[in-house]
Amino acid sequence: MRYSRHLLMDDIGEAGQQKLFNARVLIVGLGGLGCPVALYLAAAGIGQLSLCDPDHVELSNLQRQILYKESNCGELKVNCAKRELLALNPHLQISSYAVEASAELLNNNFDIVVDCTDNLAARQLINRHCYNQKKAFVSASALGWEGQLVGFDFGHNPSLCLNCIIDENSPEPSLNCGNSGVVGPVLGAMGSLQATSVIRLLLGFFQQHGEMQRYDGKSGRWLCLQASAKTDCAVCGVIN
Amino acid sequence: MISILFFGRLGDFAKNAPRTVKASTPAQIRELLTIKHPALAKELSQPQVLVSVNQMIVGWEQPLMDGSEVAFLPPVTGG
Repeated sequence: MRYSRHLLMDDIGEAGQQKLFNARVLIVGLGGLGCPVALYLAAAGIGQLSLCDPDHVELSNLQRQILYKESNCGELKVNCAKRELLALNPHLQISSYAVEASAELLNNNFDIVVDCTDNLAARQLINRHCYNQKKAFVSASALGWEGQLVGFDFGHNPSLCLNCIIDENSPEPSLNCGNSGVVGPVLGAMGSLQATSVIRLLLGFFQQHGEMQRYDGKSGRWLCLQASAKTDCAVCGVIN
Repeated sequence: MISILFFGRLGDFAKNAPRTVKASTPAQIRELLTIKHPALAKELSQPQVLVSVNQMIVGWEQPLMDGSEVAFLPPVTGG
């Protein structure tokens, strides 16, 4: 039986598996983070997965983007990913959008948005939209040996958002994976934790609103940081 | 005294930097590092560097108490 390892668990069971099957999750970005997120969520039986990425598969993606094979180079990532995920689990509804994240896309009916993008502007767009719509939002990023994870359950927490931690007016840092590199399994680790956070949110176990996890794969160290809401935050601030 | 953690790749710029200082704010720590550790101070001045005090994310002007641990974390933006 496909989900027997979930059904064996008292805190998932049939009721939990049904919640996963009823869920609508949008994954924005199908790179090094989005690949493991999509694979784990499809395998877990998330019933409606939406995939968003405008890019085509390139040879330099294959060091870390584990959905794709060399023969896929030149193909749209969303088309390749949809085919691979349906091969893994044909019982899911998978929608694909070969576009950048936009307010129009985010206005579709999703329970959770998973931010697997590679830039602050997209993260802040998702943050603002999810805050306004009271949807959950799980964000991760990686660079070099390092990874970062933070989730927001706006349906249950009206204050503290990504903009309280990283100001949307901050300039984009000069370093990115394209000019300074990234270790593939670090992305895999952070993407796996994003997928875990999505499952935790859907099953009602998420208690880490705004808590930031940082991982340094070079030293093997983790840090867990708390954050507080800014009263003058342009997104969620009470004096805004 | 304030203890300092330079997380992740900031540690590569901080090999000879002090791990304890007397300072009243994180911004003052950065200022103290400018003369002897300019490359590190420059990294700390990059946009989106996060600062935490005792595992709480704070601003650069957060007042520090004796015995606090200040961590500096570089931006991580790729995906």
